Amino acid sequence: METKKLLLTIVTPEKTVLSDKPVDSVTIPAFDGEMGVLPGHASFVLQLKEGLLHYKEGHHKEVFAVLSGFAEIHKDKVLVLAEAAELSKEVDEERARQAYQKAKATLAMRGADLDLDSATAALRRAAIRMKLAEFRRKHKP
Amino acid sequence: MASLRDIKKHISSVKSIKQITYAMKMVAAARIKRAQTSILAARPFAGEMDRLIADLYSELGEEDLSGSGARDLFEERPAGGPLCLLLITADKGLCGSFNTNLLKAAAAWLKENRGRKICAVVAGRKGRDFLHRLKGLDLEIVHEMVGIFPKAGYVHAQLLSDAILKLYAERPVESVTLIYNEFKSLMTQRIVTDRLLPLKHHILEKAPSGQRNSGDFSFEPRKAELLSALLPRHIGAQLYRTLLESQAAELAARMNAMESASKNATELIEGLTLKMNKTRQAMITTELNEIVSGSEALGG
Repeated sequence: METKKLLLTIVTPEKTVLSDKPVDSVTIPAFDGEMGVLPGHASFVLQLKEGLLHYKEGHHKEVFAVLSGFAEIHKDKVLVLAEAAELSKEVDEERARQAYQKAKATLAMRGADLDLDSATAALRRAAIRMKLAEFRRKHKP
Repeated sequence: MASLRDIKKHISSVKSIKQITYAMKMVAAARIKRAQTSILAARPFAGEMDRLIADLYSELGEEDLSGSGARDLFEERPAGGPLCLLLITADKGLCGSFNTNLLKAAAAWLKENRGRKICAVVAGRKGRDFLHRLKGLDLEIVHEMVGIFPKAGYVHAQLLSDAILKLYAERPVESVTLIYNEFKSLMTQRIVTDRLLPLKHHILEKAPSGQRNSGDFSFEPRKAELLSALLPRHIGAQLYRTLLESQAAELAARMNAMESASKNATELIEGLTLKMNKTRQAMITTELNEIVSGSEALGG
């Protein structure tokens, strides 16, 4: 018997990250806790918060960092609308840390032409990237 | 008659202007490719978002909606409050009639709503300067964003939408109007005056007629909360598209303007070169004449 698969689609405003990729399972960082999705899941619409999104395909595992957004599960299709999604491979821990420091410094400085909102956004993004890099380090033998 | 030296100077200055305009054209042409790609890349997200919202909205009963933040964005507001204008222009000039036409449209809109209080949110330096120059209007610039082109990202759209939603929540703004240039093709841009908020007619127009049966959906958190979280994002996505369109249109306008500027410079150089050669020839002829007549006078 052929096992059922989920079709995973991840889109962000800036690009389509994954499109109808067949996977075995997905873990979504939902608003009040992580949620695992297997084939045959009930139809669901949920809100995401920034966190890590895992999916598994055979023995292959992949992790994404997603910023807040939404997910829809319908008939074994998982659609993730995130404000940003990054593959763990793409994240450079050192750079993330530097960005984090820089964003913090900018926030602390409060210069005349400070773009407060974008600095906060940068800080948030750097934080989730660092989390992802840490996760990758832990789970790699 | 201009001397030979003057004409030469003129030619060399026109040549250097031509170099600049040509370089600007090439830069715009290179960037426009990227701008177009990002418009295409933004489309699936916006499409899925619209679908999700339309689905959710059609699911919601009136009682679900009442009292939630989402309702505020949907419902028509009583007339008489201040109006909000969102103007998106370019940061830089040298792009033909791109900004002029936009500012004309904005001025026409302002004239139409003369006497009302107007809150403005503006992206792009040209528009900001224009609004700062205006006098004798009840106009307040609530939020301005300068220097985001040609690298407008989703972050900027989000900041804009945050500013607008804040304004919309805090004051009894009647409606939010959006004026920007739409990218139609490389040759043409179209000025669009659109209503951004309230949303009602907007979404109902888009709602697909062939409803799929979504009655068996579960929601987390509750529908109304979900919708109120979803709507700001929807506005963000819409503004993102708008920014990208405006950016692409600006680049296209600049490319065309610079191309015709380069062409004009080439023509000018041709004309000046001809004039220079004529002057030179005239000088030689005069000199020859003088020599000949001089020698005739001596030998005579």
